[in-house]
Amino acid sequence: MLTTSIVNIACTIFNLLILYFLFKKFLFGRVDKVLMQRREEVETATKAADEMTKSAIATKKDYEKKIEKVDEEKEQILADIKKQGYDEYDRIINEAKRRGEQILVEARHNAEVENERAKEVYAAQLTDMVVDAASKIAATKHSKEDDMELYEKFISEAGANNE
Amino acid sequence: MKELLNEILMEDKTLIHFPFGNGFFDIYKSVVISWVVIAFVFIFILIMTSNLKVHNISKRQAAVEAFVLWIRGVTGGMLGEEGERYVDYIATVLIFIACSNMVGLFGLTPPTMDLTVTIALSIMSIVLVEAAGIHKKGPKKWIKGFAEPMAVIAPMNILELVIRPLSLCMRLFGNILGATVIMELIKFVIPVIFPAFLSLYFDIFDGCIQAYVFVFLTSLYIKEAVE
Repeated sequence: MLTTSIVNIACTIFNLLILYFLFKKFLFGRVDKVLMQRREEVETATKAADEMTKSAIATKKDYEKKIEKVDEEKEQILADIKKQGYDEYDRIINEAKRRGEQILVEARHNAEVENERAKEVYAAQLTDMVVDAASKIAATKHSKEDDMELYEKFISEAGANNE
Repeated sequence: MKELLNEILMEDKTLIHFPFGNGFFDIYKSVVISWVVIAFVFIFILIMTSNLKVHNISKRQAAVEAFVLWIRGVTGGMLGEEGERYVDYIATVLIFIACSNMVGLFGLTPPTMDLTVTIALSIMSIVLVEAAGIHKKGPKKWIKGFAEPMAVIAPMNILELVIRPLSLCMRLFGNILGATVIMELIKFVIPVIFPAFLSLYFDIFDGCIQAYVFVFLTSLYIKEAVE
């Protein structure tokens, strides 16, 4: 056991190197490959998850902004509609007033016209009556009493007609 | 006693004899047993690492991964961050010495009981230590490093180049040889049952401890060289 030889030492060193190579290639190499793949997968997944989170946050902000804007828009639209409503209301009221006044004016005018016509009718009747009376007086032989009676009659008829 | 030692120490260890070169090219038993160990370990690794998958791993693969991470943790812890590139070699040596020390369980003579193997191991260690130093510091700084912390101890530092591998190889050789001698003696005294338990201790526990000590010291030297 105490003797030794250079050839055997060299052989042992060679053995060790071969063993190292085998370990490196078949044990550490293979396991490292799997571990590396797994790490890459985890990193990819983590990165993807990060990106998803980022985009989700961005989308959320976007929507929050939009919602804020929607509120504003809603207020705006409501205000617009209210204004429109008031305008319409004013317009309708004004229209109604105008129409009312017009109707009133027309009615007054109509009334005047009617009145005028009534007056004309009345005057015509009066004329007829006067003519009638005059013809009656002229046609009949009449005394002083008759004249008085006629006169009375005319007066009362005229009064009745004039009422 | 003396006969026993003679029998163990002076045993003719030539296994493969070449008819030329006057015995210069003879291959020792320890080298052949190392081949057996290497072949066994290689086949075992091939079986264990076949069909590795990224997902849905089998228990076998989980064990292999755990073992690799564990042995890297052990050797990496000894080497430190600077010496991380030497982790795989240190792990290889650790496994080789541990397996070599354990072949006694199968009735073979441990290769580490032969001075040839331990010399080879320690030569590899010292070459690696100095190579690590040169790689880290560059040749100039490495040579200057011998005169640190002061020039007076330069001879000591140079002597260490011999002392370190010598102590490594003699420690491993002596321990395994000692264990074998003690086992032989115990077998003389109590031939049955009792030697079985002691054999477990010497072959497994002491074998692993010696493998660990060897790689621990090598790692320590590498760590020192790359700092």
